[in-house]
Amino acid sequence: MRKKSPNRKRARKRKVRNISETDRKLVKMAQDVLRQIEKGHPPSVEIPQRGLSNVIFDDDSRILKMGDKTSKRSFLNIAHTRKFMQTMLVASYAQKLVKDDKHAGIRELYYALKHSVGSSKENTFEEQGESNIIIEDLERMLDLLREQMNLTADRRGFIYGDIEIFDSGDRFNASKLGRGGWAVPGNIEDIKLKKSNVDYVLVVETAAMSDRLIEEKFPKDNNCLLVACQGQAPRGIRRLLSRLHLEMDLPVVVFTDGDPYGWYIYSTIKQGSINLAYLSNTLSVPKAKFVGMTMDDIETYDLKGVTEKLKDLDKKRIEEELKYPWFQNRKWQKQLQKCKKMGVRIEQQALANKSLEFVAKEYLPEKIENKNFLP
Amino acid sequence: MQEVKHADELFKDFKAQSISEFFKKNAAMLGYTGKIRSLTTIVHEGVTNALDACEEAGILPDIHVRIEEQGNEHYRVSMEDNASGIPLRFIPQVFGRMLAGSKAHRNIQSRGQQGIGVSGAVMFSQVTTGKPTTIYTSTGKGPIIKALVQLDVKKNLGEILEKEKIANKWDWRGTIISLECKNVIYNKSRYSPYNYLRMTSISNPHSRITFIEPDGTRILYERSTNLVPEPPKPIKPHPHGATPDDLITMASNTAKKNLSQFLSHEFVRVSSPKALEVCKSAGLSDKMNPKRMTWEDAESIVKALSSIKFFAPPTEGLRPIGDEEIRKGLESTLSPEFTYTITRAPQTYRGGILFVIEIGLAFGGKAGRGGVELIRYANRAPLIFDQGGCAMTDAVKSIDWKRYGIRDIEKAPLTVFINLVSTHVPYTSAGKQAVAYEEEIFNEIRNAIMDAGRALSKFLSGKRRLYEKKSKMNTLLRYVPETAQSISLLTTAEKDGISEALERIINEKYNMIVEDEEEEPEPQESEETEGEEY
Repeated sequence: MRKKSPNRKRARKRKVRNISETDRKLVKMAQDVLRQIEKGHPPSVEIPQRGLSNVIFDDDSRILKMGDKTSKRSFLNIAHTRKFMQTMLVASYAQKLVKDDKHAGIRELYYALKHSVGSSKENTFEEQGESNIIIEDLERMLDLLREQMNLTADRRGFIYGDIEIFDSGDRFNASKLGRGGWAVPGNIEDIKLKKSNVDYVLVVETAAMSDRLIEEKFPKDNNCLLVACQGQAPRGIRRLLSRLHLEMDLPVVVFTDGDPYGWYIYSTIKQGSINLAYLSNTLSVPKAKFVGMTMDDIETYDLKGVTEKLKDLDKKRIEEELKYPWFQNRKWQKQLQKCKKMGVRIEQQALANKSLEFVAKEYLPEKIENKNFLP
Repeated sequence: MQEVKHADELFKDFKAQSISEFFKKNAAMLGYTGKIRSLTTIVHEGVTNALDACEEAGILPDIHVRIEEQGNEHYRVSMEDNASGIPLRFIPQVFGRMLAGSKAHRNIQSRGQQGIGVSGAVMFSQVTTGKPTTIYTSTGKGPIIKALVQLDVKKNLGEILEKEKIANKWDWRGTIISLECKNVIYNKSRYSPYNYLRMTSISNPHSRITFIEPDGTRILYERSTNLVPEPPKPIKPHPHGATPDDLITMASNTAKKNLSQFLSHEFVRVSSPKALEVCKSAGLSDKMNPKRMTWEDAESIVKALSSIKFFAPPTEGLRPIGDEEIRKGLESTLSPEFTYTITRAPQTYRGGILFVIEIGLAFGGKAGRGGVELIRYANRAPLIFDQGGCAMTDAVKSIDWKRYGIRDIEKAPLTVFINLVSTHVPYTSAGKQAVAYEEEIFNEIRNAIMDAGRALSKFLSGKRRLYEKKSKMNTLLRYVPETAQSISLLTTAEKDGISEALERIINEKYNMIVEDEEEEPEPQESEETEGEEY
């Protein structure tokens, strides 16, 4: 039985605080703008810049952090006016959601706020991309998670394993929901992680591999929680991983295809992404480890016959990944260079070549037992 | 086998074709091609005559034109002027003879240069309807003469079929021409009498033109100036423009008894010493009787004249419209946003023929016809047809309009008005609709347009800046209500108060004459895509 983490209590309190904190931050921003207007000054807001140039890799914490470059978004600057208006619009809607204790998907927000500007043919938003960007801007500006503004992205991914969760009045164990497991919602801020009887979390890239492991009873036999991220881990999954790690002290091990795309998935789980660098501390698990697939696995497990050629996009990615600060260690550089040299990729499902059971009965248990990880 | 005919036989049937007969077969050259164009040409000839006559008499023209529909493609055209009237004995010549006319042998600038004009209208009427033209005319102090005039094509003479004297109770002075014509159409298109009269009013701001259309609509083009343009004075030809044929003709008419006196008297800018120089250079005695001049002598004289330098001809013979007058005309008819007019200094072409170019440029308002509109005038008479074949059009097309701020000349609301004033306008044909290419004229038009273009470009850049400023302001104002509403919801402050304050801030910025702010868009970075987020 695992010790209850003090973080769990904090998590509950955090929720209550979050609502009023969100409201406070949104209102304060608007009040700053109002004050400028009342003084007769052209109103403006400062927004931290997005993009690579405003992101630094913090060597100590080993996560991506947002730099402190900001840009001024000014109502009177023709190039900014529309965005300024949109910023205020989204902020006021978010505040309403929080006050009414309702949640909206980011596509719903787009539709809720889309209307014509005055009597012109122009709309407040022409397409969802515009409103998505504004949401991100607000997150950066106010240091708020969109989930704290009651905005949710689409969900993807599921979990399977012996862990108790309380969500919207339902209490359940994620190993007792059938083979499908529990589909992770877009916003997991309000779920309560009640009890866990597992030793670690295994993040698996593909649903197919997840199903394989479930059928082989891997989670039960190895006492782990399986989290299927189904490609690029969406926000709900990443928040969940962060919470599992922080609140329940669970180590996180990642299992993806042996190709640049899979390794990129790993790096966003571990380090955060460039776009969401400002959220690295809440959306990533810096201490996550990588179990496979690696280029070394090809030799070790005699998988030469089931590799596939790298695509051009993959080759491009390797070049970029070689430069990532968090891959600047001997082990990763070695794997990346090897991949480049061999020019091949190895999918996690290729382990079926050995036998269907191989991955569950030999590959994973062995590597995890021996802590045969990449950092 | 066909007989070989002897020349005598062939020439038995040869008839000398009179010029009138020739033109009858070639009405096109006179402007009578097409149903709309023919009607316009008739009006053109009448109005031109009227304007010239008024000017010669020093009268402010009052011209009335009426077109009445008589049937399908059948109209009656009546034109009245308030000029000095035509004495009875001259009526047949004025209206019935080609190549006649009091203006042909005087070196003055006149609209109806070749004197064919109104006779062509009479002829057209006759040929299409078989009817004569009715003339009413009075010199003011006598009775009104009504005459039915017809053209005898073979004799190249006008005939009066009937005449009548009517008591002049009103002391009326002037001339009315009334004729019927068939195979003509009236509408308001580009080549119509309607457009012709509109353009005429622009270039003759001193004239009042009343036009009654077939449907009864009465259009009045009021005069915008009371300045009667001075009639052009006859001037003597310049030595550099003379041909051997001119010399022979002049010599046969001169009163002078010796060559050097003939030269210095008949030509302008030829002083006595210069005359002697010419005779010497031509190898002829200065005491020779001009009437004894042979063709070879004339050729030698022409050669001598062209090799000797003479002062440029005086400009009194020319009467441009005047840039002020053109401006008035353009502004009253087109109400443009920008006008530029200029009357350039006199130039010569072909060695000595005097000409002046006047330009008017109007932009915005009613200028242009969907795109650039070109209004061509020669000696204050409009050239309506044959725009494609005219050197003026070529000159305008040769300009790089982009340099002057006109991005697409085919769409610009621009009217370009060009008037070529000269003692001898080089028309491309007897139709007098297009100007032939002469290098000096072409270049002068270009230079004038470029002057205008520079002024226009200054206007446009200022206008563009103003327009941009205005549209920026409007953009900002458009976003105010939405922004104010959002801020109001978040802060619970009154929406209207916020709106007003924002509007005040915007107005302050845009009503100040400040340098435009640096408007940098926010820095956009290309980021790694995480995949679609919905």
